[in-house]
Amino acid sequence: MAATRLSASILLTLAWRNLWRNYRRTGIMLVAIVVGVWAMILFSALISGMVDEMVRGGLRTLPGEVQVHHPAYRDDPSVANSIDAPEGALLALLNQSPVTGWAARIRVPAMISSERDNRGVQLLGVDPAQEISLGFDPADVVQGRFLQGPDDNGLVIGRKLAEQLETELDKRVVIMSQDPDNNVAERGIRVVGIYRARLQSTEELNVYAGRATVQKLLGLGTRVSEIAITGDDFRAVGGWWRTIEQAAGPDLETLPWMQLDGYLESMMNLQTSYNVIIMVVIFLALSFGLVNTLVMAVFERVREIGLMMALGMRPGWIMYQILLESLILLVLGLVIGNLLALATILPMEDGIDISAVAAGLEMAGMGSTLYPTLELQHMLMSTAVVVVLGLLASLIPAWRASRYNPVQALART
Amino acid sequence: MNRLGSAIAIAAVTLMPALALAQEITPEDIIRNAMDHWRGTTSQGEMTMIIHRPDWERSMSMQVWTQGDKHSLVRVTAPVRDAGNGTLLLDNNMWTYSPKINRVIKVPSSMMNQSWMGSDLSNKDISKSTDIIDQYDHTLLDSREVDGHQAWVIQSIPLEEAAVVWGKEVWTIRDDYVMLEQQFWDQDGVLVKTFTTLEITVMDGRTVASRMRMQEVDKPDEWTEMRVESTRFNVELPANLFTLSNLRNPRQ
Repeated sequence: MAATRLSASILLTLAWRNLWRNYRRTGIMLVAIVVGVWAMILFSALISGMVDEMVRGGLRTLPGEVQVHHPAYRDDPSVANSIDAPEGALLALLNQSPVTGWAARIRVPAMISSERDNRGVQLLGVDPAQEISLGFDPADVVQGRFLQGPDDNGLVIGRKLAEQLETELDKRVVIMSQDPDNNVAERGIRVVGIYRARLQSTEELNVYAGRATVQKLLGLGTRVSEIAITGDDFRAVGGWWRTIEQAAGPDLETLPWMQLDGYLESMMNLQTSYNVIIMVVIFLALSFGLVNTLVMAVFERVREIGLMMALGMRPGWIMYQILLESLILLVLGLVIGNLLALATILPMEDGIDISAVAAGLEMAGMGSTLYPTLELQHMLMSTAVVVVLGLLASLIPAWRASRYNPVQALART
Repeated sequence: MNRLGSAIAIAAVTLMPALALAQEITPEDIIRNAMDHWRGTTSQGEMTMIIHRPDWERSMSMQVWTQGDKHSLVRVTAPVRDAGNGTLLLDNNMWTYSPKINRVIKVPSSMMNQSWMGSDLSNKDISKSTDIIDQYDHTLLDSREVDGHQAWVIQSIPLEEAAVVWGKEVWTIRDDYVMLEQQFWDQDGVLVKTFTTLEITVMDGRTVASRMRMQEVDKPDEWTEMRVESTRFNVELPANLFTLSNLRNPRQ
């Protein structure tokens, strides 16, 4: 036992000293590992920042993290598939933690026309106070005002839609939809506000009117299309949406955002696999340098290794020694690389302005500011990738070194 | 229609303006009478629609049946490739039928603003009934002489909740209830399009507009013209005329 501990410490000393025999080569290799680790973490943080921003933006327009619908509503979002406004146990649940905001709203396809043009839109009949609790920012209404109550008689449309319809604040437009009996329901309504959204497609799609006004237009009574619920943390939704589902009952369809918007969920999944791919690719490039360095180190020391074996060192120990050299190199690189990444990302967490390429990002559903998010998971993942793959790569030179025949090795000039 | 009937019809048409003027007719009634005038209680006629564009023009012949202002049926007879296409209007609902796909389709509200058979008229223009008159504030702007007739100029401003996009509409209607012009103005007071009567003829004892043109002010090279080739008023129409099955399988 004592012998093993002694030999381990001897091995460590040997490895450490060998490493610094050629300090230039080791230094260059170290720099390569540091840069690699730093790049891995930085890229992951940037991608996570992008994806989180997309998900959060998507949930703001979805809206909410959980929605309750008529079971047929998602296939046919017509006014016929409406539900009762929340009451009883469901209402009680909606007004307590972890729910931080909810809205009972009408969402039906409609046509909006001005004198010049007409467009298909999504008519939202909302209670403005609930909508704000769900994430609508009244400061986004750039002209005029937001609705003042569920029975407001005005209409709030997006900036881009106003442009397309060639209409403006205080002008009348006509909204047209269908009532539950498939008859045309239409009325003139005055534009009282124009909002801007992060995405142009939102500005084109959503028009807001008072809930009672829309209910009257469509002959809905007090019924609504959906109940949208938020808890402010999209990762935590798995913990509470089942209780909402139970309270809503089996006649209604209750779904979390992962199932409501498959695109957002696949973005989240893509992000994780993307991070792994980037890390592995960076490391593959790095591993060639690492293997080369170790092969050179072994090649230079053939006579020395032969001598050690001739003096009774076991082949296994030779292998451990080479692997230990590699491990020390990797751990040093990891520590410095992680520290460097921390130092780079932390100051950037307030956001990087990327508005120069905003038009392209818009298509992918992203805004023009990038907020890198550093997660412990990224650092652990990069560490795991570097150590595991690094040791695997070092196995080849280490194995070769341990297989030398001492006589031949000593005879090598 | 018998002789007596047409005599009464002619008498009614010629007498009505005089009566109306005597009774201080309201602008609302003038528009209602004008809309009723060219429809009659029932009517059957042939019409040609000409769609003109800068680089092409096409015309379509069609047969039209109407009963009151809630029932109408239009069936295309020429050209061959469009023949058989039909449109049925019943109480503000609209259906179309195309023999090529052998389907009757109810025109959904989302398509009401789309063009009717490729013309400059929208489905909504076609299906508009006299109900809409109640949704405006009408004022008599002017009363002037046109071709030996008196003509009223009426301005109609839609009510706040009316399903009308226009800022105002200006009608010019002759004292025999022939509509001479209908102008559509936007909410900034800019003229957007006009529906003008180009020819007036007497058909089946009534003076009616026989050539009308819908024209957008911005596009002088694009217009749609409706020519009434012939029409008969107050005819007997079969009871099954305005039905979906008749739209699909013509029996007259």
